Amino acid sequence: MKAYRMHLANAEKDLRATRTRIAPIDRVTGRNTMEKKGSYARNSSSDGRWRRLCAGVLSFLLVLAVGQTALAQNVAVSGTVTSAGGTPLPGVTVRVQGTDVRTVTDASGRFRISAPGDAVLSFSLVGQRPVQTTVAGRNTVDVTMAQVPYLEEVVVTAYTEQRRGDITGAVSSVNIEQATKQTQSSVLKAMDATVPGVTVSTSGSPGSRNTVRIRGISSFQNNDPLYIVDGMAVSDSYLNFLNPDDITSIQVLKDASSASIYGARAGNGVVLITTTKKGIAGPPQATLRVRTGVASPVRGYDEMVLTDALEYYKVVRQSFNNAGQPIGPPYQALYGDPNNPSVPLYTTAPPSAVTSRDAYGRITGVDLSQYSYPNSLIMPGSAGTNWWKAVWGSAPVSDYNLDVRGGSDENAYTVSANFFDQKGTAKYNDYRRGSLRANTDFTRGKFNFGENAVLTLSRQYGGSGTFDDTNGEGGILGKDILMQPVVSIYDVAGNFAGAKGVPAVNNSNPLQRAQSEKDNTTKYNQAFGNMYAGLNILPDLTIRTNLGFDLRQNGSNGFNTATPQDREPNFNNSIFEWDYQQYNWSWSNTARYLKSLNRHSLDLLVGQEANGGTNRFVQGTMSNLVLTGVDSRYLQDALGDPDTKNVFSNGGKSALLSLFGKIGYNFADKYVASYTLRRDGSSNLAPGHRWGTFPAIGLGWHISNERFLSGNRFLSDLMLRYGWGVTGNQNIPSGRVFAQYSGDRGDTFYDIAGANQSIVTGYRQLAIGNPDLKWEENRSSNIGADAVLLNGMFNVVFDVYTRRTDNLLFDPRTPATAGVASPPIINIGKMENKGFDFSIGHTASWWNVSFNGSHYKNKILSIDGEQDYFYGPDITRQDVMVINQVGHPIGSFFGLVTDGYFRDQADANAHLAIGNCGVGTGLTGVPCQSGAAPGRLKFKDTNGDGVVDNQDRTITGSPHPNFTMGIGLGAHRGQWDASATIFGTYGNKIYDDQKEWYVFRNFQTNVLKDMLQNSWSPQNLNAKYPRLDINDSYSVVPSTYYVEDGAYTRLRNVQIGYTLPGSARYLPGARVYIQGDNLWTHTNYGGLDPAIPPNASTGAAGDIRDQSMGIDRGSYPTNKVFSIGIVTSF
Amino acid sequence: MNIISKNSLLRGSALVILASAAIYGCGDFLQNAAEPQGSLNGASLASKDGVEGNLIAAYRTLDCAGSTTNEWGCAVSNWVFASVASDDSYKGSDALDQPSINDIEGYHWNTSPAGHYLNTKWVAMYEGVVRANSAIRLLRQVVGSSPTAISDADQKGIEGEAIFLRAHYHFEAYRMWGNIPYMREDDTDYRKANEDTTAVIADILSDLNSAIALLPDAPRNGQKGRASVWTAKAYKGRVQMYDHRFAAARTTFEDVVNNGPYDLETSFDRVWSAYLDAQNGPETIFAYQASSNDGEPNSNNANFGERLNFPYDPSHFGCCGFDPPSQNLVNFFKVDAAGLPLAVTSPTSWNADDAAFIAGNMAPVDPRLDWTVGRDGVPYKDWGLYSIKWVRDPANGGPYMPKKIIHEQGSGQEAAVGWVPQQQSSINMHIFRYADLLLMLAEAYIETGNRAGALTIVNQIRARAAVKAQGPGANRGDMAIDPSDTRITWAKYNVQPYPAFPDDNYARQAVRFERRLELAMEGQRLFDLRRWGIAKAVLNGYLRGTGPAPYGTNGGREDARRSYKTSAEDFGDKHRWYFIPQDQIDLSKVGTELRLKQNPLW
Repeated sequence: MKAYRMHLANAEKDLRATRTRIAPIDRVTGRNTMEKKGSYARNSSSDGRWRRLCAGVLSFLLVLAVGQTALAQNVAVSGTVTSAGGTPLPGVTVRVQGTDVRTVTDASGRFRISAPGDAVLSFSLVGQRPVQTTVAGRNTVDVTMAQVPYLEEVVVTAYTEQRRGDITGAVSSVNIEQATKQTQSSVLKAMDATVPGVTVSTSGSPGSRNTVRIRGISSFQNNDPLYIVDGMAVSDSYLNFLNPDDITSIQVLKDASSASIYGARAGNGVVLITTTKKGIAGPPQATLRVRTGVASPVRGYDEMVLTDALEYYKVVRQSFNNAGQPIGPPYQALYGDPNNPSVPLYTTAPPSAVTSRDAYGRITGVDLSQYSYPNSLIMPGSAGTNWWKAVWGSAPVSDYNLDVRGGSDENAYTVSANFFDQKGTAKYNDYRRGSLRANTDFTRGKFNFGENAVLTLSRQYGGSGTFDDTNGEGGILGKDILMQPVVSIYDVAGNFAGAKGVPAVNNSNPLQRAQSEKDNTTKYNQAFGNMYAGLNILPDLTIRTNLGFDLRQNGSNGFNTATPQDREPNFNNSIFEWDYQQYNWSWSNTARYLKSLNRHSLDLLVGQEANGGTNRFVQGTMSNLVLTGVDSRYLQDALGDPDTKNVFSNGGKSALLSLFGKIGYNFADKYVASYTLRRDGSSNLAPGHRWGTFPAIGLGWHISNERFLSGNRFLSDLMLRYGWGVTGNQNIPSGRVFAQYSGDRGDTFYDIAGANQSIVTGYRQLAIGNPDLKWEENRSSNIGADAVLLNGMFNVVFDVYTRRTDNLLFDPRTPATAGVASPPIINIGKMENKGFDFSIGHTASWWNVSFNGSHYKNKILSIDGEQDYFYGPDITRQDVMVINQVGHPIGSFFGLVTDGYFRDQADANAHLAIGNCGVGTGLTGVPCQSGAAPGRLKFKDTNGDGVVDNQDRTITGSPHPNFTMGIGLGAHRGQWDASATIFGTYGNKIYDDQKEWYVFRNFQTNVLKDMLQNSWSPQNLNAKYPRLDINDSYSVVPSTYYVEDGAYTRLRNVQIGYTLPGSARYLPGARVYIQGDNLWTHTNYGGLDPAIPPNASTGAAGDIRDQSMGIDRGSYPTNKVFSIGIVTSF
Repeated sequence: MNIISKNSLLRGSALVILASAAIYGCGDFLQNAAEPQGSLNGASLASKDGVEGNLIAAYRTLDCAGSTTNEWGCAVSNWVFASVASDDSYKGSDALDQPSINDIEGYHWNTSPAGHYLNTKWVAMYEGVVRANSAIRLLRQVVGSSPTAISDADQKGIEGEAIFLRAHYHFEAYRMWGNIPYMREDDTDYRKANEDTTAVIADILSDLNSAIALLPDAPRNGQKGRASVWTAKAYKGRVQMYDHRFAAARTTFEDVVNNGPYDLETSFDRVWSAYLDAQNGPETIFAYQASSNDGEPNSNNANFGERLNFPYDPSHFGCCGFDPPSQNLVNFFKVDAAGLPLAVTSPTSWNADDAAFIAGNMAPVDPRLDWTVGRDGVPYKDWGLYSIKWVRDPANGGPYMPKKIIHEQGSGQEAAVGWVPQQQSSINMHIFRYADLLLMLAEAYIETGNRAGALTIVNQIRARAAVKAQGPGANRGDMAIDPSDTRITWAKYNVQPYPAFPDDNYARQAVRFERRLELAMEGQRLFDLRRWGIAKAVLNGYLRGTGPAPYGTNGGREDARRSYKTSAEDFGDKHRWYFIPQDQIDLSKVGTELRLKQNPLW
């Protein structure tokens, strides 16, 4: 377990703030034998103020003394600072005590400073115990710094910093170093492997959405945690605007006791992110980080499906043969003699262009001069198109970071720039981001102020629907990629070919889709940050104000091409354009009072916060553009068909007002207690119910500080924690208190005059309001322990919890007799999550390992009091396959249960009326099943009523894992270092909806390679696939046949680095490395990639993606990335 | 502590408190952000325009609307429920496409996929009811608060139209499910129990009577899409027929025939036509007013519910090959030498032909065949020769495609926008047309002892059918031509009047046959068969060739023609009504009681 690296930035201030309480801790941890070098203020009195005064006087005297000797004889001192484990420590501030002379260690931990021979050098680095040592005439001073014990780490929590030993809730720190090693646009993507209790689902599309869930799922919709970036709350499932390299800490507040200070929106947990990469006193120091690599999909469909046209035809032929039907003329016109098929010369040509046909009606000669686009197309047949390779391949990724840091005692700055460019492994798909950050901090006496601001511009090109997980049939990744191998990519004139002429195919050319969208650009322009000011009114009292802002201007414009070459041709092109503007702000004011008296210390925080925001969205579309080039893609009457021009806008507003307070109390560093109370008012809720109160308590017992454990060799340190609290959720669309009415030309307008081309305005109720809307409440309790075992050999953190959501905001369906207006959102549901998470870390002299694991069990306790189920979103052509049912987890798979295949005709007949089927009523005692035939799937009559029907559908699996784990490994030998991150998820199921296509061949898609060999036949009764049969419309229904084990273990990242010696001629101290992401995966899942993001789904009450977890509809596969990088400072 | 730091403490605290108070003090801070964005509120609609707009929206749900289109169960034509589920057509397309319809066609109506389409229909109908009721409530509110805001005539008209629409939507639900809940404007309990069929009919008739009392003689504002008193009267007769009140229906229909504004179109090609001069003609009693290129970017207002039912590529239309007419239906159009249906004169052999009935097969047929069915080698209105290549998967759905809903190329009414817009046009979708009314009156005549009246009507219909047949279609002038025209090389057309109806049974069969010929593919067939009480016999005969002629032992069985039909269930007593969507039953739960009860035998 890596220690959290507190930031130097606030060093001075933070130390001031925490020193009063550090005193007793030091007393306690004086027993800790990990401490190798002298630490400061060991003997300080319990009252920090006095101590500080003394220190000040001493410093003054030292300055006087040193100042004089410094003039006399300076020596050049150099050395290396390493950690207790031997790892070089970069970024350590080395000061000549009592002077302004300072420097910072480079990437290899080396420093060089000029100091008087009798000077005292002080070394400080956040997360490490400070070290002081005298030069004593040496030229080389090597220093080893000891890590601050786990419970002494100072972490940034809500509005303040806290020492771990004072935290009674479940707070995990993301190992930033481990997380940022992975090649990703957003740091969120790497959180699951480093923080127990956090799951993250994301696709391999560059810049794609992340579904982060903390300790299960608490609501039927909108389960994103609250992200607080530098004090500013953000709702964003991407967080691409934050360059991972700018992030200095991520804390995950997992339970109510820690999160309820954010009461309002903390129901799903809180992720606190700080970018306070502040300057370091001294001359500017620049660090350049460059990484570049090549990504490729972890797996391709071409490994799974047929790529040979005639092999595919055999599947078709078998399907006809088994159904007892002849191969019809359309197939003969393609493949010729059914018994001796061959690749067609042409799949289609207009009758006027055909010069000859063979006996089977196949086109054998064409007059190419008859070709004209788009009405007279001629397409060659293909012996086997590899559609996967046509669209997918390897793609470069590069990440450049430069930061410059510097300052003095009273001011510090960091300026950083980032450029990130990840091409998609799908063609014409790209994500680019540039960001510029400026963080400053100024101290003027008791006054401290500064800002953190980032300006980010990012662009997504092409790949529509892949960034936001709107997977499925359309697009470059849906079933289109399963186009038959006989279809060529290009026609005879070089235009895109399609399935025209190929029986019953409704796929589109996926390459054309990708190519036509190459200029579809989605722009994200964002200014984000905060300004803050603090004043130490009294040594014990600090007030602070923070103004955060999040300004976004996003926009997109795109083109939908005409597809005249398809079997369902579309001759109309169209364009769309949208623009979204958001203006969110937050202003918080806090006062913190810290007081220690003898063995008591008290930490009081009171505060007030206001959040406001507005957003606006405008969209336009137009069809039939005269010119289709990018320069003509504007919404102007003359550029297309003005009758098709359509414009739409909407918007939203929100406001939150909060008051909060927290009392923390610590007695003798043995007993810790805290009480938090927050009141929030939300504009989304009904006037009488706007205000919610969210209390929390926390208790901690630092049991190892008790006499009876003192000196225990096994338990070096142990703290037990208990927390209970309430958090809230009001994350619903605004305005749902009121009844809303509206109308739409395609929905309520009508041609009442019978004029055939004109419509009259009509209105309908859009949404039913709920004048009693109130807060959703999430109660959680957590029991945890933090332990350091065997003198620091192991760090162990363990938490068990229950979370229960009451008054869950939900829009339970109304019967159709209430109309299609959105049902009112009411506070009705109940949901529960129980689980545990833990982490164990071990650090040895040259290697370290951390292991974290978590488990949760989600259960719906109540839906609306009446209904005990509702279905998930209906996202495929088949039936629903997700149910949310009381007593089961959200998003459970649902369907029939397979019971093998019908063995033979007798077996099938027994299940039909002719066989007198029907348990109890029939003679055979076997249930009736419609469509029973040999080789078709047989389903279980689970309710035993003698008929297999929809009453027999049952829960067939859960997409929730039983256990997820992350392993972090690190090693260091000489100039070499290596690290690896492994992630694993177990017990979760995947619903492989792609089987609808590549097994059941709906719409004549391509099929799995072994279909012909491994489908049912009388000789292969226990086959992998049902019998090929064009009439089998029965086996395809949602059932356990689609449900597969989704467990996998993946080597997320492995990195090997070499640090050039400080004496190197070029780039001294620079670290170069090679790394691989996702190089190895172990899974039994048969589909493309077991890492599947939930399909994007939205209901009237918001985002309902948690109801479509684990459904494989063809997600953008994870990338395997090889890269090289360098980190160098100058 | 010294006094200064005390003061600082005070100052600091005061600052925080002040800052808090400043924001807190803005009492409107939360309220200002509370209003919904981009929508209207109830008060803004409390005006004449608001009331009229609510009524317009109630008309709009006649066919699939933006918010009621889930799958195509919302189609105004009921093509899935009354054509595919009957002997008129197959599902078509690809075996696995729209799997819900496989189950509807196979009479597996209680499956979950079938439930999707059934639920779509249920939702669409009750959304119509909700919109109609909303218009009535709002009208009351506006009139209550400002009695002069809406003229008396408009008040009555608006209420009459809304009540009429409510009756229509309930009737549609009744035709499907029989036992349904009836929702009026004052109902606030959405979880009402379903009524039995007697009560439902009584409620529909009661609403129609109210509408008749309120509606004007001619459509309000001269807008042809609106219901008039004659629409409501005609509709009332239809409901009475469904309830077997033949005498009452006869009276109602005779009033409409004698005093109403309706008449038959001069020729059959004008009945289903996108030409503006042929739309909303004398035959239209009530129709969904389709519109294309009206500014709506997805062609949602065109004949949206039918968009799947067009020939596939390489035809002009491109997609999607659903609802192909059955071999049985095509065979049914054959006539004998006397121009009477072969099914009448040769009840055991008319359906023997399993092969595609294509151009050049000169077995005489009723000219309505080539206005109803696309056949290989026969001109397809004015789109050139229909080709079997236009069929998406002939192995699955046979060689034919629908034709009535196809717009003429020359009409210029094709949509230009949306997904495969070639399928869409502003061709109006008949909900009730005069020929339908006349044939129901003929039924009523037979059941009330006036066979001669029935004969007159049937022959009137047949005479109109004989006026025009499909021509070469190079232009509008030669698209519909005299059936004996020599330019017709693909078929021999003949349709003649019945010389007499010798007895009631003969007459009853002749009227029923005529209804099938006239209204084929118009989404009436299954409802008619159920209304007549012969659905079981006809459909099992159709499927398996069982039972007596002319439907049963007649040489053809569809499970042999379309092999997937072997998996169909027999049409049984439970199929008298459709399965009520399980979803809706589950949603009717109050306490432990499911208020909605499933139909008998399901």
